[in-house]
Amino acid sequence: MTTITPEAARLRLAQYLSPAFPTGGFAWSQGLEWAMDQGAVTRATLPQWLEDWLDHGAGWCDAVLLSLALRRGADHAELDDLARAMCPCARRLAETVEQGTAFAANVAALTGRPQSAAALPVAVGRACGCLPLPAGEIIGLYLQAQAAALISAAVRFLPLGPVEGQAMLAGLQPALLAAAARAGTADPKDLASATWGADLAAMRHETMVTRIFRS
Amino acid sequence: MRGRRLSGPMFDAIAPIRMQRSRGAASVRLGPRGIEDLAQSGSAKAMLPRMTAGRPEIVFLNTAGGLASGDRLDYRIELAPRTQALATTQTAERAYRAKDAPAQIRLHLQVGEGGWLDWLPQETILYDGARLGRETAVDLAPGAGCLLLEPIILGRLAMGETIRHLQLTDRRIVRQDGRMIHHDALALDDAALSRLHHPAMLGKARAMASLALIAPHAADLLEPARAVLDEPGVTGAASAPPGRLILRLLADDGWPLRRQVIRLLRVLRPDPLPRIWQV
Repeated sequence: MTTITPEAARLRLAQYLSPAFPTGGFAWSQGLEWAMDQGAVTRATLPQWLEDWLDHGAGWCDAVLLSLALRRGADHAELDDLARAMCPCARRLAETVEQGTAFAANVAALTGRPQSAAALPVAVGRACGCLPLPAGEIIGLYLQAQAAALISAAVRFLPLGPVEGQAMLAGLQPALLAAAARAGTADPKDLASATWGADLAAMRHETMVTRIFRS
Repeated sequence: MRGRRLSGPMFDAIAPIRMQRSRGAASVRLGPRGIEDLAQSGSAKAMLPRMTAGRPEIVFLNTAGGLASGDRLDYRIELAPRTQALATTQTAERAYRAKDAPAQIRLHLQVGEGGWLDWLPQETILYDGARLGRETAVDLAPGAGCLLLEPIILGRLAMGETIRHLQLTDRRIVRQDGRMIHHDALALDDAALSRLHHPAMLGKARAMASLALIAPHAADLLEPARAVLDEPGVTGAASAPPGRLILRLLADDGWPLRRQVIRLLRVLRPDPLPRIWQV
């Protein structure tokens, strides 16, 4: 493959992880919609929900999966099995696989290299492993994109202004960087979570009668 | 010589004084006509009560009466092709304060082709300062399935105990025909404890249980399971990713959790409950 400068790699990464990159990310909320609907997450407590997601939940697990998928010699088929096996509910599985599959199809169209369907962090890691950028930078940007998608869901659901949402994202950045740095050197034994409340929310979202989001 | 100690409700709140680390290993192999091999050493025992009806039952017991720093417990079950069994534990497993190395539990559960294992252990009770690493590895042959329960209680609410320090890693990995199909790992440490009351974490719950049923018909049990998720004092939910039914339960205390688990087990399995799970 052709070599790419770090500056060009940064542009490519920002493109892949932009909300405009067509992966359908706007349609999912990881159960946040149910938690907001129940009043368990409000404008005041959303930052706390996001921190738990990042340090002890799906955000952390995605970061570790991405880190493993970025490594030289990574077995992406095996990591994809792992990513799917880790999803505790049907909608979370659909969320990560449908976005990852769309991501892989986009990358295949752009690069001319075929990419099989995979869970999102595995598809991103497989596509970005060749970029001459530190793993922590790629993971940090991925986590920020995921957090931004959750905040965007909250802006559409709650009384929460878009600028206030962006302020929440800015407030989360030190924690995003810290989690990205930890994930950069993590191993498969670090794939563990403690966010059962968020898992319950994602499961219960499946039985919501009226909903905006697919998860 | 191993450090044995008294156990039972009277002694639950008392930190054990243990001079030596305990080791235990118990291994059972069952075939369609019954027991094929049984090996046990140290503090681990495996009992096979004579059954008059239903599936054969395996009951594990840790005679050390709990787990402290550096203790290690290995349980192993091997079911031959077309063999069905139920395995459980004689008592709740207690993890006490551990100053140095965490206690370790390793479970290796193998189910042969067309076989079935119900792994329905009693609660794991974690005391303040407990350090425990548990790894449950399940290997299913093609056409095999299992039901896995894992109830965990944080301290004893009835005794007013609160947990200030904890290190728990509890990982369950199921492979079928060598391919990973289920991975569920819970990690609780001091950093997580400080946030435990958050709604994304455990909320007010101090008892929790996961249930995973791995079988082609798992999705058929989703609605029946959801229909009984209404035990007072328990918040639960279920979902069925392909080939799996997964339940998470959060409860105020161990008793409502146990009542909810029993009601779910009656829906999820055709056979009578093991004696230990009857109330």
